[in-house]
Amino acid sequence: MSDTQMWGAGLRSDGPVKPAWCPGCGNYAIVKAVDRALDEAGLDRRRVVLVSGIGQAAKLPHYVSRPVNFFNGLHGRAVPAATGIKLANHTLEVIITSGDGDMYGEGGNHLLHAIRRNIGLKCFVHNNQIYGLTKGQASPTSDAGTHTKLQAYGVAAQPLNPLALAIAEGASFVARSFTGLPDHLPQTMVAALQQPGFALLDILQPCITFNKLNTFKWYQDRVRPLGDDYDPTDRLRALETALVWGDEIPVGVLYRADRPSYESKLPVLASGPLAAP
Amino acid sequence: MDTNIRIAGEAGQGVQTAGDLLVEAFSAMGLHLLSSQSYMSRVRGGLNWFDVRIGDREVLAPREDVDLLIALHEDALTHLRDTVNPDGLIVYDGEAEGTVALHFDGVAQEVGGQVIMANAVAAGAVFGVLGYDVAELVDYLGSVFAKKGAEVVAANAACARRGAELMAAHAGRLQGPAPGSGPRTSVDGARAVALGACTAGLKLAAAYPMSPSTAVLNAIAGYSEQFGILVEQAEDEIAAINIICGATYAGAPAMLTTSGGGFALMAEGLSLAGMLELPAVILLAMRPGPATGLPTRTGQEDLRFVISAGHGEFPRFVFAPGDVTQAYALTRHALAVAHEYQTPAFILTDQYLVDLHATCAPLEAAPRPIDRGLVAAGADYVRYALTDSGISPRAIPGGDAIVMADSDEHTEDGHVTEDLSVRVQMVDKRLRKEAGMCAAALPPTAYRAEDADTLLVCWGSTYGACREAVDLLRDDGRGTSPRPTVGMLHFGQVWPLNADAVRAAIGRRERVVVIEGNARGQFASVLREIGALTDCETMAKYDGLPFTAREIVRRLSHE
Ligand SMILES: Cc1ncc(C[n+]2csc(CCOP(=O)(O)OP(=O)(O)O)c2C)c(N)n1
Ligand code: SF4
Repeated sequence: MSDTQMWGAGLRSDGPVKPAWCPGCGNYAIVKAVDRALDEAGLDRRRVVLVSGIGQAAKLPHYVSRPVNFFNGLHGRAVPAATGIKLANHTLEVIITSGDGDMYGEGGNHLLHAIRRNIGLKCFVHNNQIYGLTKGQASPTSDAGTHTKLQAYGVAAQPLNPLALAIAEGASFVARSFTGLPDHLPQTMVAALQQPGFALLDILQPCITFNKLNTFKWYQDRVRPLGDDYDPTDRLRALETALVWGDEIPVGVLYRADRPSYESKLPVLASGPLAAP
Repeated sequence: MDTNIRIAGEAGQGVQTAGDLLVEAFSAMGLHLLSSQSYMSRVRGGLNWFDVRIGDREVLAPREDVDLLIALHEDALTHLRDTVNPDGLIVYDGEAEGTVALHFDGVAQEVGGQVIMANAVAAGAVFGVLGYDVAELVDYLGSVFAKKGAEVVAANAACARRGAELMAAHAGRLQGPAPGSGPRTSVDGARAVALGACTAGLKLAAAYPMSPSTAVLNAIAGYSEQFGILVEQAEDEIAAINIICGATYAGAPAMLTTSGGGFALMAEGLSLAGMLELPAVILLAMRPGPATGLPTRTGQEDLRFVISAGHGEFPRFVFAPGDVTQAYALTRHALAVAHEYQTPAFILTDQYLVDLHATCAPLEAAPRPIDRGLVAAGADYVRYALTDSGISPRAIPGGDAIVMADSDEHTEDGHVTEDLSVRVQMVDKRLRKEAGMCAAALPPTAYRAEDADTLLVCWGSTYGACREAVDLLRDDGRGTSPRPTVGMLHFGQVWPLNADAVRAAIGRRERVVVIEGNARGQFASVLREIGALTDCETMAKYDGLPFTAREIVRRLSHE
């Protein structure tokens, strides 16, 4: 299959924008899934804003099949920009789609506070466990010992566990999926879109160019969808599940809680969006 | 005729409360006044003071000498007794030579039952010494404490009366200026900015707390219910500016408040607003730096920083109000032009102006929203259309148009591009706005400048002291002979400037002195840089305190 065939459906058909991603990159599956999820959730693209930071992943808004509002901001700052958009017009569906370096490294502080607020942003993190755009440095989720040009002696720090962190902080929706699961990924996105508050979806995304350790096959061999008997409202169980990483990597909705969204608690928004005429 | 009253004590002793009482009671009496504060960066202890200068005509600036010192503490007496005029009076909470004793706490406990009413005793004493009818103060106390019940009102009134009574032997020793015919409006700088923003249609304010800008954020929060404004405490300054960027992209007029160190963290976000052409409004209340500097003091040290902050090149506005009336008007104007030109605008002020309290003509409090300049557009909309003015039709997401915005260099429709010819077109488009911005720049305000041989040039909050200095020199000829012909120019807009207009306003003068609160003559260097001024002197002040008129007069004559 040629590259174009592989991701052709995910490209804008009406515009000049060609993806600047490597052929075979996991990002293509994500853009396809976003397109599908927007349609399956029945969203009018005029009422959706995609927000991203900087990085390979963050280019996604340019590549969706049909145009959608977007705000491609600064490295690590997708969350506050999205927060501003959501506060200004809470009737918009505001979706963040960005990389692991962007969200868990540069933007880590903002992520913590978005969870605290439980603001109704849907945050899709392309987690390739590496920095792609800046050519292969370790990311906060790189496995310990990963060798890169910069981490010549291997990564000495232990990886950040975004799911455990989000569950511990009481996020209202915490999930994981993988680019190799063509139905699971868009379905999980739709589930995130249906959650009123903040939703974190960590997406395992192979970077074929810089991450030679966590390859497509590496993820595929380990990924295990959660069974039907799994209860996502049990926080301790969810935390336990989030701590599983190795020969087995659970995917699916790990945790879900009923918490009112931030915007629903702000009296000033009750009479309509701040951005209204 | 004017009188300067200074109440001084440790932080936590109610210096501010007593000062606020006087300010409100005096404005109710129709006096002109200006109050300013000097405080240390601590919650308890130290030495703080609150000055209220009252007059029978407009009061423009603080005075360094004091007519009546209320010293609540020994340190206040030791450190400040030299500031009192030879014919002035000191009321001291203790026994000391050359002072009148008054035990504020003791009296409060005796007649009011509570130490916290010591400030009513102090305010009463001030009324007593100045020969004002204490009933005016009692009336005011009645209105502020009405909500707390009759008992509290009565106790405070008793404290005030007793304070005045105990001064009977000194009553009228200092003649206060004559009260006016009706109450006057008074406002502090922070509230003037906040009201300007709120009436202009502000919808969202975000900030991470930092003195002295927090006063403005608090003031906005105070108006938030009335005007339907969301006040968001961001997790840090970087978040604050990015929240503002997101909110303005989505269409809500938004503003942030910060001070030097906080703004230092926002440079990248400012640049984003420049790239995305967002009407981000930034209130920066200056305090001396570098780094944490003097957190509770004042200065004008961030002008060059604000003018050049952010990477890359993009237009911006910088306004620097001179008094509370300008603080209101220029904040409204900043929001309006930020939207008109779709580019960031600053309100550059300082601790002194934010904290001062002054009587002024009533500020319009009814909403009069600015024009956001939005267009209704359809499916073929492009956000960054190339235009002659550099200003593209602005739509916001949620309507029929799809609005695409990218921090990378982008095409007219907002997509990333590495086409270098598009890059050049986009830079040119953004910078083309500057022609319009310069042409519409607010001219400096001239005061007694027409025939002046010596021209004082100032910006921001130095306005009042400078204007008073002009009056002192012209009308009293103080300290100089022959009496100099002095006038002044004040800049409320400091960037961008219209070089021709500025050059014309400065004209040919024997002497031009640029007076500003920094060590390097930052504004003077801006004027030189744009070719509006060649030869000038600078008068620098960077000790953390505002200029006073006498200081300007002294330094003009002896430097
Ligand atoms: C303030 C700032 N610091 C650094 C960079 C450089 N930079 C661009 S992308 C990136 C890392 C992106 O990594 P990740 O978010 O994991 O995305 P990926 O490229 O792997 O999809 C960095 C450090 C930048 N653009 N801005
Ligand atoms: S560098 Fe990695 S993340 Fe970036 S496009 Fe190539 S494969 Fe994808």
